[in-house]
Amino acid sequence: MTEVRISHLTKSFGAGPVVDALSLTIGHGEFVSLLGPSGCGKTTTLRMIAGFEDADSGVIAFDGSDVSRVPAEKRDIGMVFQNYALFPHMTVAQNLAFGLEMRKIPAAEIRTRIARVLDMVQLGTMTERYPSQLSGGQQQRVALARAIVIEPRILLLDEPLANLDAKLREEMRVFIRDIQRRVGITTVYVTHDQAEALSMSDRVVVMFGGRIAQTGAPADIYDRPATRQVAGFVGQVNVIEGVVETASGEGGHVRLPFGTIEAPRIGAATPGARVALALRPEAVSLVPPAGAGWQGRVVSRHYGGNLVDYRVAMADGTVIHAQTFPTTQFEPGAEVGVHADAARLWPLGD
Amino acid sequence: MLSRLFTGYCLIVYAFLLAPIFVVVAASFNAGNFLTFPPQGLSLRWYVVFFENEVFMRAIRTSLWVAALTACISTVIGTAAAIYAVRHAGRMKDTVRVAMLAPLLLPEVLTAIALLFFFYAVGMGTRTMAGMVIGHVVITLPFVFMNVVASLESFDPALDLAARSLGAGRYARFRRIMLPLIKPGVIGGALFAFIISFDTFTISFLLKGIGTSTLPIQLFDYLRTNFTPEAAAVSSVSIAMTIAVVVVIEKVLGLRIHRF
Repeated sequence: MTEVRISHLTKSFGAGPVVDALSLTIGHGEFVSLLGPSGCGKTTTLRMIAGFEDADSGVIAFDGSDVSRVPAEKRDIGMVFQNYALFPHMTVAQNLAFGLEMRKIPAAEIRTRIARVLDMVQLGTMTERYPSQLSGGQQQRVALARAIVIEPRILLLDEPLANLDAKLREEMRVFIRDIQRRVGITTVYVTHDQAEALSMSDRVVVMFGGRIAQTGAPADIYDRPATRQVAGFVGQVNVIEGVVETASGEGGHVRLPFGTIEAPRIGAATPGARVALALRPEAVSLVPPAGAGWQGRVVSRHYGGNLVDYRVAMADGTVIHAQTFPTTQFEPGAEVGVHADAARLWPLGD
Repeated sequence: MLSRLFTGYCLIVYAFLLAPIFVVVAASFNAGNFLTFPPQGLSLRWYVVFFENEVFMRAIRTSLWVAALTACISTVIGTAAAIYAVRHAGRMKDTVRVAMLAPLLLPEVLTAIALLFFFYAVGMGTRTMAGMVIGHVVITLPFVFMNVVASLESFDPALDLAARSLGAGRYARFRRIMLPLIKPGVIGGALFAFIISFDTFTISFLLKGIGTSTLPIQLFDYLRTNFTPEAAAVSSVSIAMTIAVVVVIEKVLGLRIHRF
């Protein structure tokens, strides 16, 4: 297992920096996702860790030794590419043997190691197939096997599930994470899919514009987003703005354009100041209209099977997004009471 | 209806292309003394005359040697140039491409005269076969280059990165990953170079050394004073050799790489 320490990593292509003074430490055996929209610098960061791109400045160290000037072929990394990049003229076994042959491993050991890894990815019977004879999911598993059979120090995955259909993608999330735990390898996973990042990672690094916006465990990122941008990118969110009327402890009483709420946390805001609160749609529930509390009118309803999606227009025109279980449903146009789970409110920075 | 029309059209085009070859081959089996079509009687006598003609035999050997040398040199240089143009030239890519294809734009006779002046200017002259081989390399290079560029365009750069991540150095990546995948283009280019060199007349005519006539030149020389079916026999053998080279290389090296 290897610890990766990145400090002040910067890379520019022409115009502005793509990766801007990025610092990050990835612990032994940790699974870290770099999550962000396209162009946020996540792939460039991964390519610099792999050694495919040289950094303009900054240091990448594996277990304390600087590898910034070490070429990719000497860094001892395993990489899984978005399009798998399997060698089309080689069988599955030959694809897996390639990295071992480069390391001058004896033929007998190559055979046993290939057999063991193919077993792990459940492709033991496919050794003599060519990549073009495999399904997308199978190719994906061969790519993973080829990367781990060399027992690299670090496993890098670049949007490996982007080309698979939805159902297979969910299976592969569990599969990849399971293999990563069994091998115990330090892993960096690049994705723009927040569901992948949240479900697979020990830690998620959210990036915008070449900088880290927030780092934390999946639940931290989701429930306690640092900024509006993070809250908006990781899942869906209502950002409601109001004025703090009174503060008590960490929380306070907040006046909103369509009502009031007792927020358990208001961040650094003081009475009289404006505050922006994140409220996840699943923390909003709809009830038959009552005299007290927030009132609204259902604008639209989208049935999603396990959840129903509502847009509710409040008295002042603010639209609140709510996701509820389909047990009780409201028709568009219906007057409803809107109830927010105050414990799930989180103050956002800028 | 349309597809039948199209099939008919294709047949006409093929007939147009292949009819001269058919006439030449048929005329070579002529039993008479003059090159005529249809042949007067069937006989292999002109083949016997041809194979016993020491001058023609030497010309065939020269042609094969020059074509083989040209194909080797042209393939190495053309492949290297194609890899540079596609993978490393960056913004210079189009400039490199135009420069490499320049010999196609010039009339062959101009290229030949320019080379002739050059060889004498540097004191090399045309005493040996070298000048002619260089000339053939110049005119065949664009064909190798275009063929290899075409197969490199479909080479996924991620494969090279994957090989790097697996610990492969520059040479191993070329030898084990890129070369097998661009092989159809390289072999196709080599075949073009061989055939064009074997058939070309203008360049050889101006740059040939003393006693290094190639088959087309010898044939031209022959036809100036003779008009026997031996000329048709020479042409037929030349056509057969070209086809043989294509078939043998296809069988031995394989023009296809993937099983599917």
